[in-house]
Amino acid sequence: MPDEQRKPELRRSVTTWGSFAWGYSDVGADIFVGLGLVLGAAAGASNVAFLFAGIVYVCIGLAYTELAATYPVAGGGQYFVARGLGDFFGFIAGWAVLLDFTIDVTLFAWTCVDYVATLVPTFDATLHPWTHFFLTFGLIAGLALLNVIGVRESTAFQGVVSALDVVSETLILGFGFLFAFRPELLLHQMQTAWPTNYGLMDGISLAIVSFVGLESISQAAQETQRPASVIPRTSVALILTILIFALAYSNLALGMHPWHALPLDAHGHHQALWQYLGNNQNNGRAVALLAQQVPIFGALAALYVPILGAILLLISSNSGVFGSSRIAYAMSNGKLLPSIFQRVNAKFRTPMISILAFCGFAIIELIFAALPGLDPHAKAVYDHLFHGEDGVTFLGDLYAFGAATSYSFVFIALIALRLYDPLSPRKFKMPFNIKMTVRGERVDFPLVAVLGFIGIVSILVFTMITHIIGRIAGPSWLIIGIVLYLVYRRQKGLPVFRSRQHNWRKEQVEILRDAGELELMDEFVANVKASDARKAGVGA
Amino acid sequence: MMHEAVTVTVPGAIIALLIAAATGATLWWMMHPPATRVDRIAAEAESELERLVGSIIVVFSPEIDSAHMMALAVKLARGERSNLMAVYVIEVPYTLPPDAQMEVEERSALDALGAAETIASRVGVDLTTETIKARSTSQAVLDIAKREKAQVLIMGSYREDRYVGAPLGRTIEEIAANAKCDVLIGIEGKHGSLLGEDVFTQLGPTDEDNNLL
Repeated sequence: MPDEQRKPELRRSVTTWGSFAWGYSDVGADIFVGLGLVLGAAAGASNVAFLFAGIVYVCIGLAYTELAATYPVAGGGQYFVARGLGDFFGFIAGWAVLLDFTIDVTLFAWTCVDYVATLVPTFDATLHPWTHFFLTFGLIAGLALLNVIGVRESTAFQGVVSALDVVSETLILGFGFLFAFRPELLLHQMQTAWPTNYGLMDGISLAIVSFVGLESISQAAQETQRPASVIPRTSVALILTILIFALAYSNLALGMHPWHALPLDAHGHHQALWQYLGNNQNNGRAVALLAQQVPIFGALAALYVPILGAILLLISSNSGVFGSSRIAYAMSNGKLLPSIFQRVNAKFRTPMISILAFCGFAIIELIFAALPGLDPHAKAVYDHLFHGEDGVTFLGDLYAFGAATSYSFVFIALIALRLYDPLSPRKFKMPFNIKMTVRGERVDFPLVAVLGFIGIVSILVFTMITHIIGRIAGPSWLIIGIVLYLVYRRQKGLPVFRSRQHNWRKEQVEILRDAGELELMDEFVANVKASDARKAGVGA
Repeated sequence: MMHEAVTVTVPGAIIALLIAAATGATLWWMMHPPATRVDRIAAEAESELERLVGSIIVVFSPEIDSAHMMALAVKLARGERSNLMAVYVIEVPYTLPPDAQMEVEERSALDALGAAETIASRVGVDLTTETIKARSTSQAVLDIAKREKAQVLIMGSYREDRYVGAPLGRTIEEIAANAKCDVLIGIEGKHGSLLGEDVFTQLGPTDEDNNLL
């Protein structure tokens, strides 16, 4: 075959640890943001909020694990939804994920500066809002520039930072529980500082922020070695690790006796550790401040946790930049977005338009988030319209909205694919299924997906009830996207609400062959033949 | 800054231990995913190769020209960190006493083993050499393979002329038939072998060699 006709194949270079690190550098950074937000909202029920969101997250994780191992392609959630529910819903899911990726860029760049501010008070958002704003702006612009010219942090660096963080968090939690945990204090805080129902709903909606990013592992599926075997392991390990950390942090924050005396609050009153970590000044760097309060180990942690946290948050912010351009590329490839998002710059060989467009959105979000801190008049308007939500909470709201919307569709898509694509071999399957027959095929109806769907829709409802910004900005983003989608599909003469023609059988064989999952490919082909034979037998 | 007292509670200690154990166990489990068929084939091949090349003996004799196989043996030995040995067997006919002087053959042995040492030293592989006199080359090779617990014997081939259909030499056939370990025989193609040819061409006699000669 002549060289110019040879289809280039993506080299599978992501190892088991690489796949874990890919997800961890995204999801692992979430607790650095989520802990303070949830403590501020759910107070003495923060651990319950994390538990509720954690159960939903386990369901989401299991769904993504099954789908990514069954369909190891780069598109992630939007691909699963497009395949299960059609192009229109695939677009909505992908568009919601795009919102999350742009928020990811802003939120993590913002909190990256917050963590550095633990060591350099000049960067503090409350004390020096303009410095904080310009630094965050500079980080976003810098990441956009680096991605445009094609510089990326090495995957080895990502792997090392993830490993250091896992060890560090295990040590913080281990020493914290060993030397400073008082069960009676935990119970006392849960009894005396239990929030209102509104506060609990608010906390739960923000707790999901700590678990967003599983999309990353499925996005890397196409580059992962032996994806059908490796991805279930790395996904489940990621789910468990993050769950352990989130539950442990929230219980420790409520039940830990601080090593140092805490400063008095604005009214001159003593405050509990959770109050100190959850207030507007500290909620962007709660993990670093908690680590400082761990006896003995805190002396060392005070020095390195802000730096390690900042690096992890910066990597996560960067994953938002290339994640958004990757998913826009995949959506454009699937005719869900205009082909401009597939255009690669001739000089830098990167999707420059895509990167600049979504980093532009990220900067708009930054301005919205920073405005109340920068201008007292804007603060008055925000106080009047949005109950005075601060910048991090605003970003957290939208993050939760985008994730909850996308995950809701992923659950429905999983159920649909179980029913209508039972022939694709599933090396990993969500547990607790009901066997039934659909169109002559034996299928497993996934009960956990139903549970997860109810859970994530609850969180979506909580987000809408408790956050005015989430209620307005989130749906507005979706409506704008849908209008653009309808215009694009109509202009291109593509079906608007229906899907384009697909030969899923052929596509699945190609997906499995390209993934190097030859056993699964054989199994799929055998399943298809057996199914056809059965149907021919019935027809005859 | 005032430090509060450190308090260790039993629940706290248990939770700390559980966090460390659960995190460690989760990551260990993750790093050991189930093997696919392709993995198993690759693992078996690797293990076989490791077993195969744990100890390598390259065989030379007037009947067995292994010069081109020496380069391959050295590369294998370097990659797999194997023990490498080159043996030159001089067959002493029954008409002569076992310790008879055989100058021509001994000179050939020196050349062959000297070249082998040079190839090995150029790529940093340790090589032990030995010249053996025996009544039967094949028996001598089988004996030394047993003594050295060789896992693979590597040798070139001898043919009458370059006729491809000719059988391998009797000695080679005997070794291949009776060896308890694997035998790798390099058979030159119609147009000779590229294996190690350049190495031997480059080697040539040095000035020092010429002086000795």
